[in-house]
Amino acid sequence: MNPLIFTTILMTVLLGTMIVMMSSHWLMIWIGFEMNLLAIIPILMKKYNPRTMEASTKYFLTQATASMLLMMAIIINLMHSGQWTITKVFNPTASIIMTSALAMKLGLTPFHFWVPEVTQGISLTSGLILLTWQKLAPMSILYQISPSINLNILLTMAVLSILVGGWGGLNQTQLRKIMAYSSIAHMGWMTAVLVYSPTLTMLNMLIYIMMTLTMFMLFIHSSSTTTLSLSHTWNKTPLTTTLILITLLSMGGLPPLSGFMPKWMIIQELTKNSSIILPTLMAIMALLNLYFYMRLTYSTSLTMFPSTNNMKMKWQFETKRITLLPPLIVMSSLLLPLTPMLSILD
Amino acid sequence: MLKIIIPTIMLMPLTWLSKKNMIWINTTTYSLLISLISLSLLNQPSNNSLNFSLMFFSDPLSAPLLVLTTWLLPLMLMASQHHLSKEPLIRKKLYITMLTMLQTFLIMTFTATELISFYILFEATLVPTLIIITRWGNQTERLNAGLYFLFYTLMGSLPLLVALISIQNLTGSLNFLLIQYWNQALPDSWSNIFLWLACMMAFMVKMPLYGLHLWLPKAHVEAPIAGSMVLAAILLKLGGYGMLRITTMLNPQTSFMAYPFLMLSLWGMIMTSSICLRQTDLKSLIAYSSVSHMALVIVAVLIQTPWSYMGATALMIAHGLTSSMLFCLANSNYERTHSRTMILARGLQTLLPLMAAWWLLASLTNLALPPSINLIGELFVVMSSFSWSNITIILMGANITITALYSLYMLITTQRGKYTHHINNIKPSFTRENALMALHMTPLLLLSLNPKIILGFTY
Repeated sequence: MNPLIFTTILMTVLLGTMIVMMSSHWLMIWIGFEMNLLAIIPILMKKYNPRTMEASTKYFLTQATASMLLMMAIIINLMHSGQWTITKVFNPTASIIMTSALAMKLGLTPFHFWVPEVTQGISLTSGLILLTWQKLAPMSILYQISPSINLNILLTMAVLSILVGGWGGLNQTQLRKIMAYSSIAHMGWMTAVLVYSPTLTMLNMLIYIMMTLTMFMLFIHSSSTTTLSLSHTWNKTPLTTTLILITLLSMGGLPPLSGFMPKWMIIQELTKNSSIILPTLMAIMALLNLYFYMRLTYSTSLTMFPSTNNMKMKWQFETKRITLLPPLIVMSSLLLPLTPMLSILD
Repeated sequence: MLKIIIPTIMLMPLTWLSKKNMIWINTTTYSLLISLISLSLLNQPSNNSLNFSLMFFSDPLSAPLLVLTTWLLPLMLMASQHHLSKEPLIRKKLYITMLTMLQTFLIMTFTATELISFYILFEATLVPTLIIITRWGNQTERLNAGLYFLFYTLMGSLPLLVALISIQNLTGSLNFLLIQYWNQALPDSWSNIFLWLACMMAFMVKMPLYGLHLWLPKAHVEAPIAGSMVLAAILLKLGGYGMLRITTMLNPQTSFMAYPFLMLSLWGMIMTSSICLRQTDLKSLIAYSSVSHMALVIVAVLIQTPWSYMGATALMIAHGLTSSMLFCLANSNYERTHSRTMILARGLQTLLPLMAAWWLLASLTNLALPPSINLIGELFVVMSSFSWSNITIILMGANITITALYSLYMLITTQRGKYTHHINNIKPSFTRENALMALHMTPLLLLSLNPKIILGFTY
């Protein structure tokens, strides 16, 4: 793509999300979402083949539906409160419709079906933007309307997302689908604690974005999209295997890595609010996620996976330059002792 | 406590910056020095604990376990030298780094005051152990072993996290120093029964309790020697240590909640001892014997009398040293014949007489011969369980007999008789191996002269 046009489109995506995060008028938020959606379609379709077309179409249809539902909720809210300012939502119906719309945008169950298919159909870099940047806008709206969200619906969607994210990822070998199911499960964790303490949602979002960014960077660095091609990294760049191991264990939520921090804080917050079975169930379901991360580490770092003899002498003619990888890796693994820092997110 | 933790952490830069011919020497020497520092903690002047800071403390229960942990690191390094000799330098350094990381987490776990920090470090010990088992084990079954190990432990310990946080909400603090003064009875309700279960299951899986022990033979057999040593000697004791700490908060439910686990342990120790008599794999035999000894510790901890606590602590230390020594002996066989089958390497006394002396001593301590500390531990547990209920003497007596049977079976099969014809060209024992066995045996024998230091806080 022409660099000038690509820059413009990328800036529009950024601008759309910024508008969503910083507006106080509901109409501007809807405009921000639409701007974001329209501008990201060309980015998703950077490679022009039927697979990306299909993925982009699916993404467009689901997100457009969600935006329309959002508009409807905004109008109902307008009818009942008479004003366009973003505060809590004044009508339960509007609140439910808005929560469903934002769940559709985030990929929460039962609206999660588009996430694996869209993530699989696009390139790794576009998948990265999809799974990290695109989650910021809907999450910021959920943060702002959090006092008025119906707890039952949100918690049901959250727990179902954790279940689906765990079980759905078990049969996958394609890395992008694995990351998609991981995203569904993490979104579930984030929304489960939204009503109790939105700060923890933001913390989880921050740590999740760091870990997903690291994972995608490592995948892009080894140009691998399947488990099999990832298993060749011990031949090419053995250090990457260690980094993949650390980041995957962090995503699975193992102490003492930083992925444990959001899970611990969320369990703490939920337990303080006297729900005990829910965090236990969520924690045990997160072990399903850990299982398929472990499978990835087994084929990548903890064994020297069988490969053909040609692989051992493979030359890298062009070393991919990955920005920010070392700081990201450090942040996605060593942040646990800095847990008290979450007070800055208030 | 930082005087032990910081040197242990600094062992990691030491390995990465050492020259190729100095890595083993440097790390073994400095870890021996660190273990000498930790010996000073055994001097506990009063009945109270030694408090080093708000975060670390050491009391007569954790001090012997800490000394055992720091003592084992040089032994693990010595034991691993042979099987890593053919690996590239970076992989050797990675292995030593994993061991050091594990050591750091273990030291911090045994001395943590705050129970949530204990939990985080308890879980943190899983990661290096998993990497050691899966990356450096020898057979394909190691993958399955690592998964079983990780998931059994995590399934047990996630409810523990929730339980600890809910206890923190109720009482305001989980600092162990405070809790021993605060102690109130838990009210009797269904949710407190689940709280009891949630607190104890993590440690039951780690010990392991008889029904949940499936991960242990797999993990012990597939791990490399240092992994087996640290698993048998220390990681199982984490479960015992955790149980001893957390039962102080869980009265009075323990009086009736303990029955199923007592039954499982009493039956399980006989079952696992009997399985030992039918094992063909040497490491598997030692692994099942670990389950059997730990079942005794579970019985002792759940009975909650002063003598049983003394027996539990003594048994933990004694079993740690004995089991680790047995694994080293089995590994010396494995390095020569590359097989763990017992009958493939028979009659070793003729070929390696000094090693046969170590085998004899290890088997004798395993079957709890007087006056070793193994006997003190077992005897105290048998006596206290007899006073708890007279009938248990039948099971305990049967267990002692069967333990003697399989220990002698192991000794006689590997050492006595005519040697097999294919092992008459094995290398003689290295000085390193003899030193390893001596370093295991010497604390064991010396402690039988003054067992007071390992008898825990009820002495």
